[in-house]
Parts: sequence; C-alpha cells; structure tokens
Amino acid sequence: MKTATPSLTTSETFSVVSDLFSQAITGELIGMSNFASLAETIDDYEEKMEAVEHADSERSHAEGFLHFAKEAGLQVNINLEGEYWRSVREQFLAYAGKRDFIACLFIQEVILESFAVSMYTDVGDALGGEAGKLFRSIAEEEKEHLDHSTEILREELRKDATAFVDKIEEVHFNCMTILAQFSATTDLRGHCGVCHGSCMKADLHHVGLDSATMRGNALALYARALDNIGIPGEKSMVWIAQLPA
Amino acid sequence: MDRPASRLDFAVIGHQDSWANIHTFVNRIRTPEQGTLSVEKVKAIFPFIPARDLFRVTVTSRTGDTIKGVYIDTFIEPDKLGVTNLRTNLRKVEDAIAFAKKLEAPIVALGGFTSIFLEGELSPYASSNTRFTTGNTLTSAFIVKGVEQAAVENQLDLRSASVLIIGATGDIGRACVGYFQSRVNNLLLCARNKRRLERLAGEVKAGGGRCTSAIELSTLLPRADVIICVASSSNLALAGVKPEAIICDAGYPKNLFRDAADRPGFLFHGGMGQVEGGYRFEPDYTDSFYQYPAPDIIHGCILEAMVLAFEKRFENYSSGRGNITVEKVEEIYRLSLKHGIALAPFFNDNGLCPTRPKVSSI
Ligand SMILES: NC(=O)C1=CN([C@@H]2O[C@H](COP(=O)(O)OP(=O)(O)OC[C@H]3O[C@@H](n4cnc5c(N)ncnc54)[C@H](OP(=O)(O)O)[C@@H]3O)[C@@H](O)[C@H]2O)C=CC1
Ligand SMILES: [Fe+2]
Ligand SMILES: [Fe+2]
Repeated sequence: MKTATPSLTTSETFSVVSDLFSQAITGELIGMSNFASLAETIDDYEEKMEAVEHADSERSHAEGFLHFAKEAGLQVNINLEGEYWRSVREQFLAYAGKRDFIACLFIQEVILESFAVSMYTDVGDALGGEAGKLFRSIAEEEKEHLDHSTEILREELRKDATAFVDKIEEVHFNCMTILAQFSATTDLRGHCGVCHGSCMKADLHHVGLDSATMRGNALALYARALDNIGIPGEKSMVWIAQLPA
Repeated sequence: MDRPASRLDFAVIGHQDSWANIHTFVNRIRTPEQGTLSVEKVKAIFPFIPARDLFRVTVTSRTGDTIKGVYIDTFIEPDKLGVTNLRTNLRKVEDAIAFAKKLEAPIVALGGFTSIFLEGELSPYASSNTRFTTGNTLTSAFIVKGVEQAAVENQLDLRSASVLIIGATGDIGRACVGYFQSRVNNLLLCARNKRRLERLAGEVKAGGGRCTSAIELSTLLPRADVIICVASSSNLALAGVKPEAIICDAGYPKNLFRDAADRPGFLFHGGMGQVEGGYRFEPDYTDSFYQYPAPDIIHGCILEAMVLAFEKRFENYSSGRGNITVEKVEEIYRLSLKHGIALAPFFNDNGLCPTRPKVSSI
C-alpha cells in the first residue's frame, strides 16, 4: 500500500481523501464521455480526431487517479449517475444533440475545466506528497484544455459578439447553476451520490482545505476565463452574482 | 482584449467602503426568483471575484462634450484595508490596473485605498499608453474650497481661525497644509508618525506659517475652529470639539464615527463634486449603488480623471506623495468648473446639511 501521503493516517483524512479521488475520477469520466460525445457534433475530421484525443486524455487522467487510489488502498466510489454530475452531463448532451459545438466546448473546457484546474491545484497544494503531485500535474494538463478553448471562443466572439454573449449567458445559467449548487457550502440539491456518508465538504479541514475557499478560487478562475474570452466584466459580474450560493 | 465595448476616454478603479453597500448591490442584481443572499454568503463570494468593470459611465460637460468610461472594482474587502492585508490588496489593485490597461483606457483614476499604488513607485506603468492619477489634486481642491465656502456660510473668518488637519502628512493633508498656511491664523497638525509630523511643522514655520503639531488628537481638538479629516483611519472620535466647529470629513471610508453627524456644529463630507451636465451608469445601478442626497455627486478623485479626459490631458496628473502644489489645485479646479463640475452641496450621513441663517442672533 502506498503511504507517501502522510495525511492518510487518520480515519477522517482517509475518508476525505477517498472522496476527493472519487469526485476527481467521476469528473474525469464525465469529461471523457463529454469529449467522446463532442466528437459526434463535429464535421471537420481533424477536429473530430482532436476531440477523441481529448477524450483519451481525460481517460488517462481518470486512470491515473484510479491507479493511485488503488495503490493507496482508498475507498473509491464512482457514480456517473450522482445528482450533480448526471445533471451536468445531461446539459452537455442536450447541446450535443443540437450539434452545438460552441456550447459543448464552453461547458466542458471552460466551466468544468475551470473548476478542475482550480480545485485540483488547491487539493494538490493541500495534500502534498505523491497525491499532491498527481493532482497538480493533472491540473496543468487541464489548464491546456482551458487555454485551447479560449482561442476558439474568442474567434467566435469576434464573428458576432451579441449572439455569442447571449448564447454563453444561456449556457452559463444552464450549467454553472448546477456547479454552484454542487459547490455551495451545503449541497443545495441534496447528496452528490459520490461522497461517503454525509458530504465531505464539512470534513475538508482535516486535510487543510475549506469548501468556501475552494469554491471561491474556482469561481475566480472561471471569471478570468470569461475575461480571456472577451466577455465584458459587467456581464460576468451579473452572471456570478446571480448564481445560487 | 477583444471586447464589444467602444473606445474609452477614462476608467476609474475603486473599492466599496462597507459590506452593507456590497450586500445591497449584489442583491439588487439578483432576481426575486434567485432570492436574496445573506451578508455572510455575499462575504463568501465577493472577495474572490477578480477585478472587473461593473458598469459604463457617460459624463456630459458644460461645453456639450460627452466622455465614456468604466468603473472597475478591485473587490477589496471594506473591513480589510489595514496593513495586515496589504499584500492581498496590492495584488488586487495590480489586477485592476492590468484590467484598465487591457481596456486601453487613456487615463485612470485610482480611487480611495487604491491610490497607494501611485503614491509610491511609478515605473511599473511606464510600459503602456495608459496614464494614472490618484485624483488627489481635485479632491484637495474640493476640500479647501468646501471649507472656505462653509466658513462663509457659518460666518467664520478663516484669517482668525485655527484649522486642524488630521492626516496632515498625507498627500491630501499636505496639499491642505500648503493651501491654508498663508490663509488662516494657525494650523493644528496631526498624524501618528511623529518624525514626519515634526518635519512638516518645521516646513510650515520656515515658510512663515503658524502651527502646532501633536500626535495626540485629543490635545488639538478643543482648539480647532475647523477640522479637516484626511486620515487613512476610521472611527476617530471627536471628544472636546467646539460646538460650532466646521468639520470636513473627506476620508474614504469616512474618518469619523458614524454618529458624528448628530453632534452640534457643521459637519460635511468633503472632497466631493457635482456634475452640472450629469452622469449616467449603464447598467444603471444608481438606485442601489453610489447614492448621495443630491443628484450627480461624485468623488473628487474620480472627477479628476473625467476632467483630464475632457481636456484630453492624458498624463499622470497627481502622483507620488507631497507633490500637490497650490498652483495645481487652482488649475484643476478651474478646469473642473469649465466643464460644469463644481463643489457638491454640503451633506453628511443625515442628508443635505441645512443652510445656516446668514444673520446670527448671538
Ligand atoms: N473624497 C475623495 O474623493 C477622496 C478621498 N480620499 C481619502 O482621503 C484620505 C487621505 O488620502 P491620502 O492623502 O491619499 O492618504 P495618505 O496615506 O497619503 O495619508 C494619510 C494620512 O493620515 C495619517 N493618519 C492615518 N491614521 C491616522 C490617525 N489615526 N490619526 C492621525 N493621522 C492618521 C497618516 O499619517 P500617519 O501614518 O503618520 O498617521 C497620513 O498623514 C483617505 O481616507 C482617502 O481614502 C482619497 C482620495 C479621494
Ligand atoms: Fe481531465
Ligand atoms: Fe480536460
């Protein structure tokens, strides 16, 4: 059994770290499925190949986390049907069904990757050791996904700013609302179906984390991502202020 | 950055001075279906938001010219302006400055706490076309002209008055010292750092002015006919003040206790101007944000950037500490009046100050 992460020594930390891995693996599998579905929405064969490649990259992230969790003897619970992850996936599929590539890209590479990059970085810094290294290195790779989409979305904004901002606003409220409910200090839509027992959020302090800071950092990165795409601040301010909390 | 916004004439960087204001602002944005958020929930989100433009501002000059700008908030927490949070706050100001540069604003006012950046080192800004101003020169102008006006309304002859300046060694404080040293009977100077205070008092005396300085405010308060509050501290108490004293609180956040407005005498919030041609926010948050008891009132520091934008004088007009001369105070005040930007009517926490009867019965 791997013992490189000193924080796994008590039952509380064992449980929290197990939950952190469960959430990460579930999220990666959702990402993998989303990219696979995204490939369907694209006509250009090169972009299709790129989407499949991305799906494979998310698969390898899931595999990396799974492998580590097994080695460390963590109790992992993967559940793609959990309340929040399932809802996010449904939102994605609804846009994929309409072959709305831009909306799909925004959900997967801006909304989900902002949360992944920020939360993996926070978790990585808090856990330290081998587990920390793993979270941080995957955060780095996710950041590339985020940067990649920014280019495409900027281009889209250049073509028709008003239509683009309207579309992004709609996708924001459809999808970001779910993540805001999920990441609120208390789950706003009930149990996530991934964590053991009650939600891990109350126990994050055992590994030096707190849910409010993690959520705040994720929202901050998301806001910066919106800035980089070129969404006016007066819009993003309203979008963030109107989220459930 | 590729933005749907049109060309900007100016930008303002600022921060909010109370959680109550932020709470109102956030809930004003939310719809009834989204429900209101408690102060605690607002506090859990607001400080994380990176600097961004909250609304556009259009200002009209008396000359008929119109300029367009944006307000960029730093999301600095109003109760964390002290030294313990200096690093975090400086990073937030830096973020806001980068944001203003991305928007290619030609002139930017650094309001309230954020002016700390310009009061120090200027070189980080040399790299872009954006120019910055603390706005402290026009703020100083509105303070000194306001005090003169209040003295007239209250039949106080400044030439025989003792004028106390709290925060005398600061940028605005020194501008006030420079302006009043030859115009009043006696200056009373207060700040916490004794060495700097004594050096300033020495300069005033060397220039032929009469002054007393003390780090203990309480020893100066009973002697003052006029009190100008330009300190970077809040909740200062006014024990022992003459009942008829004229008090100008120009702090942001306010220097004095909230209940100071209930004391006798004449207290007004100084450093404020009013735009004759009016200003407009888009989106229009004026029903919950930046509310004053009379229309079109704005802080002097913000107005300075607007005046410079009207004049197309894109320069670091107010920067460093202690560089504000009487000539510059007069210059920016004159330019301000040219565009219909004048002293705001006197007001405090209780609303507009009642005008005193001109003939005293005493
Ligand atoms: N109305 C407007 O438009 C504007 C208002 N302002 C406000 O004006 C005030 C002054 O600004 P600025 O001159 O740039 O600030 P500075 O930092 O340059 O000066 C602050 C002064 O206050 C003194 N001070 C701080 N705390 C105390 C205290 N408890 N008792 C006595 N003196 C004190 C400082 O000296 P020491 O540290 O030695 O005590 C220093 O002399 C601030 O509140 C600022 O936010 C600024 C710009 C525009
Ligand atoms: Fe991934
Ligand atoms: Fe990814």
